[in-house]
Amino acid sequence: MNLHVAADAPQGFLSPTGVEIAFVLVGLVTLGAAIITVTTRQLVHAALWLVVALGGLAVEYLLLTAEFIAWVQVLIYVGSVVVLLLFGLMLTRAPIGRSPDADSGNRPAALAVALAAAAALVWVVVDAFRTQWIKLDKPQGTTDVTGSVLFRHWVLPFEALSVLLLAALVGAIVLSRKSKDEPGGNGRQNRNGRPTPKAPRAQSDPKAQSAQTSQSGQTSQSGQTSQSGQTSQSGQTSQSDQADQTERTR
Amino acid sequence: MPPVPGSGLAKGLAVTLRTMTKKTVTEQYPEVQPELPPRTRGVIGLFEENCTVCMLCARECPDWCIYIDSHKETVPAAAPGGRERSRNVLDRFAIDFSLCMYCGICIEVCPFDALFWSPEFEYAETDIHELTHERDKLRDWMWTVPAPPALDPGAEEPKELAAARKAADKLAAEQEPEPDTAPAPKPEGDE
Amino acid sequence: MNDALDVALRLLVVFVVFLTLPLVIGQTEHKVMAHMQGRLGPMYAGGFHGWAQLVADGVKFAQKEDIVPADADRRVFQLAPAVALLPYLLVLLAIPIGPGEGAVGEVIDAGIFFVLAVMGVGVLGSLMAGWASANKFSLLGGLRTAAQLLAYELPMLLAAASVAMAAGTVSLPGIVAAFEWWWLPWQIVGAIVFFVAGLAELQRPPFDMPVADSEIIFGAYTEYTGLRFALFLLAEYAGIVVLCGLTTVLFLGGWHGPWGADGLGWVWTLLKTAVLAFIVIWLRVTYPRLREDQLQKLSWVLLVPLALAQIALTGIVKVAIN
Repeated sequence: MNLHVAADAPQGFLSPTGVEIAFVLVGLVTLGAAIITVTTRQLVHAALWLVVALGGLAVEYLLLTAEFIAWVQVLIYVGSVVVLLLFGLMLTRAPIGRSPDADSGNRPAALAVALAAAAALVWVVVDAFRTQWIKLDKPQGTTDVTGSVLFRHWVLPFEALSVLLLAALVGAIVLSRKSKDEPGGNGRQNRNGRPTPKAPRAQSDPKAQSAQTSQSGQTSQSGQTSQSGQTSQSGQTSQSDQADQTERTR
Repeated sequence: MPPVPGSGLAKGLAVTLRTMTKKTVTEQYPEVQPELPPRTRGVIGLFEENCTVCMLCARECPDWCIYIDSHKETVPAAAPGGRERSRNVLDRFAIDFSLCMYCGICIEVCPFDALFWSPEFEYAETDIHELTHERDKLRDWMWTVPAPPALDPGAEEPKELAAARKAADKLAAEQEPEPDTAPAPKPEGDE
Repeated sequence: MNDALDVALRLLVVFVVFLTLPLVIGQTEHKVMAHMQGRLGPMYAGGFHGWAQLVADGVKFAQKEDIVPADADRRVFQLAPAVALLPYLLVLLAIPIGPGEGAVGEVIDAGIFFVLAVMGVGVLGSLMAGWASANKFSLLGGLRTAAQLLAYELPMLLAAASVAMAAGTVSLPGIVAAFEWWWLPWQIVGAIVFFVAGLAELQRPPFDMPVADSEIIFGAYTEYTGLRFALFLLAEYAGIVVLCGLTTVLFLGGWHGPWGADGLGWVWTLLKTAVLAFIVIWLRVTYPRLREDQLQKLSWVLLVPLALAQIALTGIVKVAIN
């Protein structure tokens, strides 16, 4: 880790710089948006407040000069995850106004999990850095630095994460497969379900992606992609049916 | 040979690009008058001298847009001791062009050639009542009706003309019994 | 003080470009589309060949009443046009039109990620509009928008990743600086995938299923009137500027020209952008709208594999060179 650590610079929490003030303010906004996200009774508003929270997080990354992480945060979370979330909400149930039945019974459990996760993160970060003061005069989290750190020092966790994504993909395909005895199901094409190379991790990992592509490149043209197209298409139609139903019930 | 994949797409692009280089077909009407064929069906003119108030046009009109009023007049006998004739006199002839659908049935059905198509089309109004053209306006449209096409060079003279000329000749012969001046106003083609 | 002035000046220039270029493209679309259909297009506004038609449209939009439907979610409804429009303004900041620091609004280290991320945010505006309008057509339009974004974001990112691999950097000026002419055939598949996916993300015909007027009126924008509606339209045309500029910068070599003098780099960028914008209009005139299932199929079955193949090719060539 080539972080420039000022050895014993006279830094303190008094007389903060402008960046630090901004950091705290954005942090407060992010926290507020996150709290509204989990407490609001309006489902779509919750998703939109989540956008604010995730965007605030991106701004925090920016203030820490971790530009790459910030944009990836926006790209993945705001651009894709929230869109997916909104898509799901709109497909199933997104009334305008309050939805009193949207509350879940396992609030305490969720709170416990959240506190545990927060505690773990805080503990790890505090334990890792202690009282080190990282100077941000010059950018610390450029793409260059992030890339070399990721692929020199942290390759193994990175690959482990990609296995996790692969598992998720396999799971998605299993879920979207129709069973053979289902009437009207096109089980013939879907029988040899294999993971498709459409992993979204390509954005952060060109190298691994290209490696995976070269593996699956031969098959991707022939059977695999047509099969994936088939599944996505059938998923599409069933979704639109569902949308019709939603429309009618609304 | 099967078509190259994407050739249809390329063809479509070529069509639009070629169209772009060609002259447009837009008529810039208020600035430039359109070039219409001479017998364009723009408005209906009334040649009221020919109208006998037979009411055929008003009856055949599919949307009842022709209004005709008339009264009868008696004409004294032409010859002494003859019978008095009654004659229809036109009081009102109006076509409501807000109802008219320009089918032309009235013109087709008129037995006396009193209705004509005129190519004029610029008679839009801001008030719909103004679109009911009364007889004087309908008569005015007649000036815009193009003359009937000329006959072929060797064609027979129309029956009406021949009959009229015959009557005129007879009258002239009665008034001037001298034989030298009789054939003076004789046009050619009168055979 | 000088720095502040510099920043203000850059922002002003980008803002002016942001307001004028979409209008220029819109007017070009009016005229090109008309002539491709054998028409003349607008001829009156402004006198000469209707050059001020879009200005007149803007005046008209400004005069219209701003209506929010009674059942709509008021704040989200009113916020949506800004969410749709602002990202394109931000993206425009990052697109370099010439070499050097002076020809880009703001140098951003991870430029590709910035522009793609922010462009993706713009779609949130359509989603918000579609949901908040309390209209079934709007909701369907929003759903289609979301489905389309999810399908086409991936090939677009993959194609951009390919060119980033080729250049060895994710900064936009860096990519243009590293550009060589032989990249053109090398990255042509990626370029086409990027451009097509970008068109789909902008919901331009033939990918305008989310606003298919014959089915769902105007999709997510059905309930909008007046200035807010105009903002959505402006977002679409700003999107064209951004997409064409990005394709130019990423795949067509930006300010590099065949006999370009050094000072004329920005002319080349603008020229290439204009040609691409013409192609956008041309495609709109030529092709009919894709059906929703065809739309999804095109992305998942054709564009994603093509983009992956392009990445593989890029990787192989890159390794072979090194």
